Amino acid sequence: MKIAALGRVAVAAAIASAALAVPALAYDGTNCKEPGVCWEPKPGYPAKNEIKGSKYDPKHDPKEVNKQSASIQAMEERNKKRADNFAKTGKFEYDVSKIGN
Amino acid sequence: MINLRTSVSAFTLAATAAVGLAATTLPAFANDKLVELSKSDANWPMTGKNYSAQNYSPAKQITTENVKQLKPAWAFSTGVLHGHEGTPLVIGDKMFVHTPFPNTTFALDLNEPGKIDWQHKPKQAPTARAVACCDVVNRGLAYWPGTGNGDALILKTQLDGHIVALNAETGAEVWKMENSDIKVGSTLTIAPYVVKDVVLVGSSGAELGVRGYVTAYDVKTGAQKWRAYATGPDEDIKLAKDFNSKNPHYGQFGLGTNKTWEGDAWKIGGGTNWGWYAFDPDTNLFYYGSGNPAPWNETMRPGDNKWTMTIWGRDIDTGEAKFGYQKTPHDEWDYAGVNVMMLSEQKDKQGKLRKLLTHPDRNGIVYTLDREDGTLISADKLDDTVNWVKQVDLKTGIPVRDPEFATRMDHKATEICPSAMGYHNQGHDSYDPEKQLFFMGINHICMDWEPFMLPYRAGQFFVGATLWMYPGPKGDRQGFEGLGQIKAYNAISGKYAWEKMERFAVWGGTLATAGDLVFYGTLDGFIKARNSKTGDLLWKYRLPSGVIGHPMTYTHDGTQYVAIYYGVGGWAGVGLVFDLTDPTAGLGAVGAFKNLQKYTQMGGGVQVFSLNGKNPYDDVNVGEWVGKGG
Repeated sequence: MKIAALGRVAVAAAIASAALAVPALAYDGTNCKEPGVCWEPKPGYPAKNEIKGSKYDPKHDPKEVNKQSASIQAMEERNKKRADNFAKTGKFEYDVSKIGN
Repeated sequence: MINLRTSVSAFTLAATAAVGLAATTLPAFANDKLVELSKSDANWPMTGKNYSAQNYSPAKQITTENVKQLKPAWAFSTGVLHGHEGTPLVIGDKMFVHTPFPNTTFALDLNEPGKIDWQHKPKQAPTARAVACCDVVNRGLAYWPGTGNGDALILKTQLDGHIVALNAETGAEVWKMENSDIKVGSTLTIAPYVVKDVVLVGSSGAELGVRGYVTAYDVKTGAQKWRAYATGPDEDIKLAKDFNSKNPHYGQFGLGTNKTWEGDAWKIGGGTNWGWYAFDPDTNLFYYGSGNPAPWNETMRPGDNKWTMTIWGRDIDTGEAKFGYQKTPHDEWDYAGVNVMMLSEQKDKQGKLRKLLTHPDRNGIVYTLDREDGTLISADKLDDTVNWVKQVDLKTGIPVRDPEFATRMDHKATEICPSAMGYHNQGHDSYDPEKQLFFMGINHICMDWEPFMLPYRAGQFFVGATLWMYPGPKGDRQGFEGLGQIKAYNAISGKYAWEKMERFAVWGGTLATAGDLVFYGTLDGFIKARNSKTGDLLWKYRLPSGVIGHPMTYTHDGTQYVAIYYGVGGWAGVGLVFDLTDPTAGLGAVGAFKNLQKYTQMGGGVQVFSLNGKNPYDDVNVGEWVGKGG
């Protein structure tokens, strides 16, 4: 089970970072730049435009990040074929390879 | 005098009579069949009984006076273990029962209960189980009444991401569409929701970085009508031209991408919706909440992370959002905002009758909004031990955070209340319109939290935090009990009529009835009934397994029944069902509920009660097989 493994990995990571705690910080969410934009970096932590290259850079891989949208587009295309075919023939076919153009 | 029980018509009458309420539209009378069905005590045609999601029944054969005579009437084993969330549906002579993975659906004959009219047992890729966040639960079914030609449908979701329409008479598959792709970590656990001729479906998987969306499908053909995301460009989020025009301080346009996210992080930013929907035929809006941003590690996603954690009011026909109120901007604690939305019509403190939406959130605040335009009316703590937030500023809608309980990299935050499980989770609660009280099942759990960095890989867990959970200050931190509460809440006064502690979380929600009763199940395997005026415990019954679903009631052949799923599991029961012992496993749930196994074990089924156990088999000839010779 994945969540079991998550716990064990997390414990190791936790031990590694426990000694690096910093004092309580002041961000309370009320200092807004414009309506709905109220986040501020906590002191000592990077702003949005500073995170790249910092120790907290999530280093997102664009190929991985775009996999979801590609998957959704493909599902929508298959679903459209299924629904169109159902409306046209009155018979539902899930397997799109069996649906003619 | 206005009878608040018939809430929609009451409001319409009041609005028509009132001067200055010209903007209130007339009822659309959408999907009259489903509305009519929900008015009858004989039916429970949607997860919350009616579109207002009140989980309330006017039936009062069972009362505070006679509830002690409530006895088992009949039971049905689903043959499936793991957590049974949600509640069965009843329409006419049939009860429709759902299960967790493998998502079997049963149609039972209420004239001969236990006789299976049909069952639908889909074949699914077992890998779906591996990407399910928190047990393999499912929250229920939806019913479309059809056109009267035998074309009524049962709509169901499967863990492998499919939405399926079944013929309600035969169980035959009518259509089946792909909504979520398990290869990128997206599953389905939500109960679908029928409005007019569309069925709404959400998505799950924010713990795997899934970008959330809600989709409307044509019930007749399965064709997608529209899809609205929680994050991204405005056109993806489907914001109406007048979005938040009544409350521009919530934020309006252009906030779903790099104004509140770093780079393309919104593409893997969560905001899934796997909770519950409500609908108002007058406003033509449906209401739901988007969930937590991904990953849980807040340092990895700077910004307000719009529009995760948001209460939405969307037009059912177009999907366009009229309002969105983000409860927990830049979440730091996994306070996923998907919980139940209960609709009521009540006079506010100034005496003005208003259309309200009340939502007990994971973050420990119970919010009440004007559901016509999203205006925040009240935001009260679910318990006085909530500490991450000092208060919610009603003028701005902004939660004033207490920095002491913030989370961040290189820091272990401690004693945060509530825990990531929230002081309220997926339980479907109830509202009694006569008493104007909400009955809420509460978690009383706090936590320590320490983030860590991890890369995003599509289809893999993307959490980045280690959690330790334990009872809140009112519980027993040595014995790991006192993890739950049940409360009666007045949204106008902000006061609690009563509150009681429970050994474990009241995870599944509540049912209120006109018999002055509130019913609920407990994780340790009881169904209980309390006096809804006083909170006094009047009755309980020991079930074969713990409860994480909500009770329902229906009347059949003149007898009122109360039904409830048993089957422990879900996030709260994940340690028990997967035999985990590391207290940080199960995203921290294992430690909190380490003693649950001393009280219950796995099971799965429906238990039905009535006064003195009256049931169709009291006539011993019912269900007998009669041979040729008689």
